[in-house]
Amino acid sequence: MHDKRMRSAGEIAFNGGMFVLSLVLLVAAYAISGFESLSSPGALPMAVALAMVVSSGLILLDNVRNSRRDGTRFIRDILPPAVIVMMLFVAGYAVLLVPLGFLPTSLLFLALSIIYLRRGGIAYALTVSLVALLLVYVVFRLVFTVLMPAGIVPEAEILAAIGRMFGGAE
Amino acid sequence: MEALGYFLTPWLDIKLLFLVAAGTFAGVYVGAIPGLSVTMAVSILIGFTFTWDVYPALCLMVGIFMGGVYGGSRTAILLNIPGAPSAIATAMDGYPLAQKGLAGEAIGISTVMSFVGGLIGIAVLALAAPTVSDFALTFQPRDFMLLAVLGILLVGSLSGESLVKGIFAGAMGLLIGTVGMDPLTAEERFTFGFTQLWGGISFIAVMIGMFGVSEALAQLHHVDKTAVKQTISRIVPSFASVRKYLPLSLQTSSIGVIIGALPGTGGDIAALMAYDHAKRVTKNPEVPFGQGAKEGLVAPETANNAAVGGAFIPMLTLGIPGDAVTAIMIGALYIHGLNPGPMLMIDQPQMFWFITGALALANIFMLIFGLTGIRLFTKIVEMPRTVLIPLILLLSIVGAYAVNNAITDVYWMLAFGVLGYFMKSYGYQLGPVILGVILSRLLDENWRRAIISDQGSLVSLFKGMLTSPLSLVLLAMVVMIFVSQTPIWKRWRNKAGLPASGGDHNAPGSGA
Amino acid sequence: MNKIIVKFTTAFALTTALTGSLAIAQDYPAKEIQGIIQWGAGGSTDTVMRTVTPHAEEVLGGKVVMKNMTGGVGAIATKFVYAQKPDGYTLLMGAENPLLYKVMGLGDIDYSEFTPINILARGVPILVANNDAPFNTFAEMVAHIQANPNAVKFGSTGPGGLASVVTAMLKSKTDLQVTEVPYDGDGPALTALQGGAVDVMPAVLGAAIEGIKGGRMKAIALVDNAASEALPDVPALGETNPEYADYLPWGPFFGVFVKNGTPEDVVAKLTAAYAEGAKSDDFIKLMADRGFVIESLSGQPAQDFLANWQSVTSWLIQDAGLAKASPEEFGIPRP
Repeated sequence: MHDKRMRSAGEIAFNGGMFVLSLVLLVAAYAISGFESLSSPGALPMAVALAMVVSSGLILLDNVRNSRRDGTRFIRDILPPAVIVMMLFVAGYAVLLVPLGFLPTSLLFLALSIIYLRRGGIAYALTVSLVALLLVYVVFRLVFTVLMPAGIVPEAEILAAIGRMFGGAE
Repeated sequence: MEALGYFLTPWLDIKLLFLVAAGTFAGVYVGAIPGLSVTMAVSILIGFTFTWDVYPALCLMVGIFMGGVYGGSRTAILLNIPGAPSAIATAMDGYPLAQKGLAGEAIGISTVMSFVGGLIGIAVLALAAPTVSDFALTFQPRDFMLLAVLGILLVGSLSGESLVKGIFAGAMGLLIGTVGMDPLTAEERFTFGFTQLWGGISFIAVMIGMFGVSEALAQLHHVDKTAVKQTISRIVPSFASVRKYLPLSLQTSSIGVIIGALPGTGGDIAALMAYDHAKRVTKNPEVPFGQGAKEGLVAPETANNAAVGGAFIPMLTLGIPGDAVTAIMIGALYIHGLNPGPMLMIDQPQMFWFITGALALANIFMLIFGLTGIRLFTKIVEMPRTVLIPLILLLSIVGAYAVNNAITDVYWMLAFGVLGYFMKSYGYQLGPVILGVILSRLLDENWRRAIISDQGSLVSLFKGMLTSPLSLVLLAMVVMIFVSQTPIWKRWRNKAGLPASGGDHNAPGSGA
Repeated sequence: MNKIIVKFTTAFALTTALTGSLAIAQDYPAKEIQGIIQWGAGGSTDTVMRTVTPHAEEVLGGKVVMKNMTGGVGAIATKFVYAQKPDGYTLLMGAENPLLYKVMGLGDIDYSEFTPINILARGVPILVANNDAPFNTFAEMVAHIQANPNAVKFGSTGPGGLASVVTAMLKSKTDLQVTEVPYDGDGPALTALQGGAVDVMPAVLGAAIEGIKGGRMKAIALVDNAASEALPDVPALGETNPEYADYLPWGPFFGVFVKNGTPEDVVAKLTAAYAEGAKSDDFIKLMADRGFVIESLSGQPAQDFLANWQSVTSWLIQDAGLAKASPEEFGIPRP
């Protein structure tokens, strides 16, 4: 794991970011109810935000004082291209989920990421994605009736149509 | 002897027997998949079993509950992704074992120990339910507050290499738990004007993000490495090793039962507290904690299954839910025309014994299904990562959405996944974040209730703590654990030549 | 087999063509209906909806998939349903809370944006006390509180919740100085009552009834004009203290709603289905056991019920100083 006497690539930036975030949260916590009373809704948020500011401050201080770097390189060890690409895929998924709907987005996501990670094999990727998606759909949508965003595929109507076909008029 | 007859009803009726088995089997898988929760499964079963009699419906629900609490450990051990909140502690020593190719052994021991824990929980339910529920009722707001503080001190044993980073992560978790509309005053906290944030950030979304997505992203680093080949020759642990862990499992099961029986706390807190307890009392583990100590598996797995029996105690004696699942079961009993409450034990004692019997049966099925399906499960880890990682990501997204049917939860889950990835990369542990989220409301609400009850006076709150025996014991435990984690105490102990307890992490503060 | 495929493709083609706003009422329901429950699984609203809906489904000839969407005292679910198309495929299954959103500063979407399908039932509030409390009647309680100001702890469920409204009601006619300890629901508050963390709790009868019957807590007064059949021995506040009679009957309620603009024939179908569901034996038994009063109101009577409830409660809250905005701003008339 990490040698705690040395800092990794990007560590100062991350810890600095956490410190700034903590400060913002402390201000937001103060805005809830100020120093009104010990039982006010803002009491605990302020206390924990303060703890975040102090601890992240200490962590940052330690980073800055300790200027020795270990041999890590940001793009190789912390955020390699595979991670960046998958993060982008996931972000794309989140953006497309509502307008496009669950089924097409998931299929696209699964197929693209398997193709990317395996560096090819379109037929394999499509088959695996379809089977996996079908399983997820059956478990979540049909058994657990989780209503994922339908988007462009009118799955509720299709399900009802299938139901009518097999069960007669339900 | 009538009681025994009712107790055995689900054992002797082939249909009920089958339903308990089916429920337990389904529960193991529901529990293992992050995002499918027992709470969800049971509430769907209410609709599904609406037209049934109450007994078969209960059999199915009890089975799912028992199996589900256990099933969470599967993915925790195999993938380092806890399938349920109560398996968070299990991952800490279970996954290192899987990395050594000992997943089969780890699952074996956690299955047998879950069975032992479940059995103890059921025994307490059967023999001492009224006493335990009366005890649970004596907890005042200040006692719940002290309990929460006790939980927060676990940060010490969860933070790994750096205590300061652990404190930061824990505080962050506590803060995440307060986001949204304050349940006590309807004041908005950290909502920054977004109505989507009124409902707060779902704890399950944070958990799936921090453990599921961030773990999947981290595993991309060695996507080409072939998976560790799992040896599954020895699954059933030897009798000697079970006997070795029996004293520990008795202690951790007691923690499980009590925490389970307290309204508002459940198996997740119980498992983490039990893990901490194991670390404290195990003087010389064969392998250090965090690297695959069996004790670190035994403790949370006994505690969370013992908490199942515990959760039924206030439900069956008083009609008060012991956790989220029993709350739904109370609703189910109402729908089936029963009135859960203090009169249930008196008017319908058969219900109490029937549920106890079904639980005991489910516990046995859990052992059977737990020990037989392992080969199939370990195949999952041996799947190529190029397929496994996208699948985990997809399941995480669907699971986060399913909790509250909210797309916002998906965004949060992804955001925490990325944050968790970076935190991991820079030596932060994620356990304290989840601990903070779990304990946030318990601490916040009960602190405020305690201080309001004493009309805002800290002095009288303190006086109340010192005059109540229960509060005094809890306070003493808080002080003891706190002091034992401070450097001065450790130095003194080392000088005195005593073995340092919890010597797994270096001197606190070393990271700063 | 071939036939099925042909049938399937035609069905597929037809249904795809039909999506959008073309949900014709004769076909309603052509697909699953979503029922969004404002409160969590296992709670009162959840239990009521899950009992009545299967019977309504039979009449409708379709499936209603019920989902709990909690948070923001029901505001999250209310906003969600408001954001859907008014086609009758998304039902809001809620309690009384949205009627107070405006005065509590929780946005301006309340039931005026929705059409009531059925106001199913109304709960009756009851004052319960810890068994060790040194009073047994409302008069004794008032005397004790006045002799020991701020010493008696009342359980509460946050501003705008049932407990705060009943406490405001009591305070409007009697000088009562109590400490209100907030809980996130009447279940946890009643648990605390049994352990002595609070002394008195204004709760809905259904939540307290089993505890009273089992002797875990004692009933002080029923906040209604007449005693309930479920607990005939508990005196009604409207009878012992007639100064409160004007406010009563008052209580939380459960209802099924659709967004305004839903086609009239769809509303009519749903109304008929839920009216039938409210007549089912399961529902009647559940309501009787839990001490709820069945209302089963729809159409204009339901609108009147909602308007009256909103006006009484908003002004009570305003006069007690709990409101964030005056009901006047929203044109809610004083009762």
